[in-house]
Amino acid sequence: MLILLIIVFLFSLVYGLNEVSFIKVLKALLGNVSTGDTVVMIIKQVRLPRTIMACIVGAGLSVSGCVFQAILKNPLADPFTLGISGGAALGVAIAFVFGFQSVTNFFVPFCAFIGMAISVIVVYLVSIRRRFSSKTMILSGVVVSYIFSSAVMLLFALSPSNSVQTAFMWLIGDFSNFDERLLPFITVVILASIIILSLFGNVINAVCFSDEKSKTFGIHIAKNITFLFFTASIITAATVSACGIIGFIGLMIPHAMRKIVGMNNVFLIPVSAFSGAFFLPLCDSLSRILFSPVSIPIGIITNMIGGFFFVCLLLKSDGTYIK
Amino acid sequence: MMHIDNVSAGYLDKEILKSISCKINEKDFFGVIGKNGVGKSTLLKVLCKLIKPYSGDVFVNCKNINYFSRREFAKMIAFLPQHVDTSSLSFSVFEFIAFGRYPYMNIFKIPSGKDYVVIKRIMDFLQITNLAQRKINELSGGEKQKILIAQVLAQETDIIVFDEPTSHLDIGSQNDILGILRDLNENYNKIIILTLHDLNVASEFCNKLVLLENGSICKYGTPEEVLNCVDIERVYNTEVIVKINPISHKPYVLSLSKKVEER
Repeated sequence: MLILLIIVFLFSLVYGLNEVSFIKVLKALLGNVSTGDTVVMIIKQVRLPRTIMACIVGAGLSVSGCVFQAILKNPLADPFTLGISGGAALGVAIAFVFGFQSVTNFFVPFCAFIGMAISVIVVYLVSIRRRFSSKTMILSGVVVSYIFSSAVMLLFALSPSNSVQTAFMWLIGDFSNFDERLLPFITVVILASIIILSLFGNVINAVCFSDEKSKTFGIHIAKNITFLFFTASIITAATVSACGIIGFIGLMIPHAMRKIVGMNNVFLIPVSAFSGAFFLPLCDSLSRILFSPVSIPIGIITNMIGGFFFVCLLLKSDGTYIK
Repeated sequence: MMHIDNVSAGYLDKEILKSISCKINEKDFFGVIGKNGVGKSTLLKVLCKLIKPYSGDVFVNCKNINYFSRREFAKMIAFLPQHVDTSSLSFSVFEFIAFGRYPYMNIFKIPSGKDYVVIKRIMDFLQITNLAQRKINELSGGEKQKILIAQVLAQETDIIVFDEPTSHLDIGSQNDILGILRDLNENYNKIIILTLHDLNVASEFCNKLVLLENGSICKYGTPEEVLNCVDIERVYNTEVIVKINPISHKPYVLSLSKKVEER
């Protein structure tokens, strides 16, 4: 697993707009080339952070997908089911349409974060009144995201097209213009949350049961769901601030891994984290290679692959699998 | 020992149980019977602290259940609901039974050596060791019911509550399951509280019965006291004959269809 990860990592560093030899990448990483070289500059300052970010975001989205599927007791849930994407989209739309992003680059992730926080809190406040029944949570998430997306549409309809274009790229998930200064912060947040969630794998398992049954095991449902919900939301929020809304990773990776390692989250969470960290840089490389020299937003690639993946799964399965 | 003191309960504003009072003693095999929708399951849920009664209290060993934390409570009373949906749960049988040990585990819920020993012992007791690595959603109805019982036993409680443990099982599996419950009751001093639809099964296995009617207790006592023609006919609104089983000397109930009556 680790070896695969390293191979993909290097692969992602090698391929891009400028073809760079494999040896050169290794040399650049190990610091054997003089710093004035432009290739080294590209690798160290553009591709390396981008690849690290792709790994971290891939792992984060996969893990938060696992957690949301468990707490919502629904295999079709993903990190964006509870309306986080809607809130983020509104924040970003506001940032672009009102031109905040020209003030400083930090404004876009910041606005996205505020939008997400609002949507998470709204969903939480609705859910807490209904004791976190999974149906209520999903319903409120869907409603919240509809309200936010219509607000986004409204903003787009009223604003000039060039700002809409940039905001739009951001909304489908794009690595090309993220801010490296965010990298350390986002890495720490996501890795810490993944480690915490891995430790609580058995608690996540218990939440998969009907509420009645979990209660009789002496588990405090509301407390555990609140904790898991916020931890997973923080991961999602961090990924969205970094590179927008990348669809399907949080749905597809946990699904595929569940087929392999089973439902036990003690194994599922770390395995999903690894596969996500492996899969997203691969998609990112594809997004740069496919229509080279144009690099397309990564969200297009993941949505395409995800769509085909699920069609194949549905055609192959005997129908018992989506319950 | 359990004490139910003047409990009224229901869902939202629909009152189902009205001022129920009764006592469940040590070594009781306690059956709750009555028509569909009369509040049997509701009563069990109140006992298991899953529904908060509108008024009245429940005491376990003379202590009000409101004063126990969920975790403490889970070490005293285990509950097996009527329907546990396992169709989407692809845990192995061993992992599944281990959930019953949660009240004894630390914050990360990682099983200790003792948990393994307990689970192993229970699997031997129920003769399901050969199923340990199977997936829970691939088992037959009878096997699944045994696994669910194993999970409940893993909680090592003195009181175990079952909501219709034998519904939709064939008579072989049904006797198997009830035999296990009787063994637990007689040889391991567990208090068993359960709801049953089959009056003859209730008569055969339970030493105490409570017959519910419109959310109140119609009759409470031994099977001989509770299963009498007059009360059963009124509560279930059908004609019956009550006889004594020549071998077990317990009452048994035969229902009469309309045609027979006319003849």
